[in-house]
Amino acid sequence: MTIGTSAALEVQHLTKRFLSAQHAAIKDISFEMENGEMLALVGPSGCGKTTTLRLIAGLERPDAGLISLDGQVLASETKFVPPERRGIGMVFQDHALFPHLTVFENVAFGLRGRKPAKLRAAVSEMLHLVGMESLANRYPHELSGGERQRVALVRALAPRPALLLLDEPFSSLDADLRREVREQVRGILKSIRATVIFVTHDQEEALYMGDRLAVYQRGRLEQIGTPEEIFHSSATRFVAEFMGNSDFLQGRVVPEGVRTAVGLLSQAIGINGSNPVEVALRADDVDFEVDETGNAVISERFFRGAFNVYRLLLDSGQVLHAFKEHTVILPVGSRVRAYISAGHPLVVFRDGQAVSGG
Amino acid sequence: MQLTQITRLTLPRWNAARTSPRLIMAAGLVALFVAVPLVYIFIRAVAAEPEAWQRLLQTRLWKLLGNTLILALAVTSGALATGVSMAWLTERTDLPGRGIFRWMLALPLAIPAYIGGIVHLSLLRPRGGFIPQALEAIFGQPVILPSPIGFWGAAFILTLFTYPYVYLLSSAAFRRLHASLEEAARTLGRTAWQTLWQVTLPALRPGLMAGALLVALDILAEYGTVALLRYETFSSAIFIQLSGRYDRSAASILSGVLVSLAIFILWAELRLQGRARFTQVESNWRPAPPVSLGKWRLPALSLVLFVISASLLVPMAVLVIWSANSLLDPQALRAVFRTGTIGFGSFIWNSVWTSSLAAAAAVAFSLPVALLSVRHPGRISRFISRLCQVGYAIPGVVIALSLVLLVNRLLPFLYATPFVVVIAYVLRHMPQAVRSSESAFGQLSPSLEEAARNLGRTSVQTFFQVTLPLITPGLLAGGALVFLTSLKELPATLLLRPAGFDTLAVRVWIWAVDGFYMQAAPAALFLVLAAALPLSFLLRREQIFR
Repeated sequence: MTIGTSAALEVQHLTKRFLSAQHAAIKDISFEMENGEMLALVGPSGCGKTTTLRLIAGLERPDAGLISLDGQVLASETKFVPPERRGIGMVFQDHALFPHLTVFENVAFGLRGRKPAKLRAAVSEMLHLVGMESLANRYPHELSGGERQRVALVRALAPRPALLLLDEPFSSLDADLRREVREQVRGILKSIRATVIFVTHDQEEALYMGDRLAVYQRGRLEQIGTPEEIFHSSATRFVAEFMGNSDFLQGRVVPEGVRTAVGLLSQAIGINGSNPVEVALRADDVDFEVDETGNAVISERFFRGAFNVYRLLLDSGQVLHAFKEHTVILPVGSRVRAYISAGHPLVVFRDGQAVSGG
Repeated sequence: MQLTQITRLTLPRWNAARTSPRLIMAAGLVALFVAVPLVYIFIRAVAAEPEAWQRLLQTRLWKLLGNTLILALAVTSGALATGVSMAWLTERTDLPGRGIFRWMLALPLAIPAYIGGIVHLSLLRPRGGFIPQALEAIFGQPVILPSPIGFWGAAFILTLFTYPYVYLLSSAAFRRLHASLEEAARTLGRTAWQTLWQVTLPALRPGLMAGALLVALDILAEYGTVALLRYETFSSAIFIQLSGRYDRSAASILSGVLVSLAIFILWAELRLQGRARFTQVESNWRPAPPVSLGKWRLPALSLVLFVISASLLVPMAVLVIWSANSLLDPQALRAVFRTGTIGFGSFIWNSVWTSSLAAAAAVAFSLPVALLSVRHPGRISRFISRLCQVGYAIPGVVIALSLVLLVNRLLPFLYATPFVVVIAYVLRHMPQAVRSSESAFGQLSPSLEEAARNLGRTSVQTFFQVTLPLITPGLLAGGALVFLTSLKELPATLLLRPAGFDTLAVRVWIWAVDGFYMQAAPAALFLVLAAALPLSFLLRREQIFR
């Protein structure tokens, strides 16, 4: 059975329930991917992103829904292709290198039915890709974290999978190494035009790695789109909160826009009546000036090197954050007047759903 | 070696700390105490008269060597196959009843092999055995059954009562295995069955082999079963030389060869044990989903039931029936409770106090050794720790021989007292205490002690308020293990006990050898139950119940 679309991977209404709490359940997940695309699944832990990955790899059976790759159905109500016959590579969170095999043997594990000379050439090529040729005869426990990461990556890439899955592959590395390995891995994957799904709970990592992002919450797909779409026109309050460190300022819809504690936001809102809404404000959307009769006081200042972040306590009791240059240093307790300085429409939410913006 | 590498990675600060000379001294004394009997045996063996060597080389040495090695090989393979398959079935499949089977497969450790041997012998003996007789009554003519006497019987019975070592180590290894390792193999194109053979078992190999080598050491030391089934090995030959012919130079030579063999196996085991520890990764652990047995469910269940019946249910049932019989028969009852001037209570008391004293002493002696090897890793501490493991490689008969000679010469006031028996237990079972104490100290982060010092406790207060409460469970486990194995120890007790000093093991053996099975049964049952107590404590610690 084939599906008449150009999408490489197609996931439709995927649902998985678990009796035990070992994995997170997912409900009605649908998305498509193009060849050569990198998709980042992002969300808090326990939101079901890893479950989605395991379902695609064939390590779990879906309760409902359909998964197809290049037109071939991998899992449906009636069909289930076991993981060894899917041609999908996976890099595990703990790398899962076989402790009894050397680096060479680990990479060669997925390459069967080749003549020794060809096998050696194929493995060397893969190891060359990550600069690990000199360590081919080491055992996994003799490698550093970053080296293990790279071996796990080429072991999964060696059989030339149609799709590569990465399950929080950098979470076991420490911060400095993580940034370095991440850049290498993205470079390698882009250079061979791999189709990749990548799971992470780190929003910054998702923005860096993904051509598109799929934001999960409690087993549901909240929004899927390019990093810019996710960032600037969040579909739900959760996405804006999780991806952008937004403050949410209460407001009321009036004919001219939204009335808030820091003034009127004049932009067209798709709803009528004086409904209570929330405006998502990031620190770059807010500015303030010192004013003895202002509407807020500075409650804290965080020095971030190139700039300062000020925390403002509004008289209405709400909290906003605002950027200032690193030279602007004001004492805590100063009375200021805060206002919205965004040069673009802002996202407005009602009951957690976006009603206008970006 | 690898163990100390890990320790160095996780406890870097302690390298800088100065090693206390008193600690080295204490650990060194313990090592000396353990090493003396071993070294002494080698000296005696090398210094024996050339004619004695000549005589043995020409006659019995090669046959004994062949017999011993073949038996060790057969039982080790049998225990490996049984232990690993039982562990896989109970840990990694959807076998029904696996929760209770986990216990029942480990419990044969409480049954000394010679007691199991007595039961199987009485059931299967070609003439007068219970099963041949029953079959003859049914069919009206004699039915030929495989005889338990000789090599195959010994191999079968010893496999039944030693596979739990492999079973426990391999089921622990299966439990610790990361699910992702097998899942990775599946995504790289292997079926579940190929994954088992190409990834799971090879990855666990060091742990499984370490268990198998412990079995091999146990077989080298085994006396009761092989003597009962009339299969001659080094241990039984040495025993005969010692108790019957009293040829000490021949016994020394045989012991020297036997111990060399055992030390070689122990060396291999220590290497593998180190590797096994190294390969386990602790972070992000997640259990693998059980394999569905499908149509293999019934054959698998029958196999497990056969192993459990032969190693646990049948021996226990027979012991219970015999005990009931002897308690109901007034004459046998009198014999059970009063043999000469000695009563049943005194066997129990002798067993319990010697084994308890040995357990306490072994744990106490293990403390400086473990503290030194965990907190001050280095060449000296490694050497001392290794030396304290040689007890595994010295069979009971050899310890007995060495102690008979040494005590006679150096400590004559101890000669023919029960304390020699206790010393033998301590020497032989010290390694178990050392391993438990090392792992107890190894799991204790030094930062806990540093925090206590930082909060104003002296080093002594810290030891009693922080260290001791945290390591006590580990020390108790070591003590329970020593108690359990001392309770079962037969040859050293037989050879070293003062006249009339009977333990449960000794009494069971003497009665059984004389053919009074019914009379021996209550003592055997009591011995098994007494051993099952510390064993169940140990199994609970291993989290057999989940």
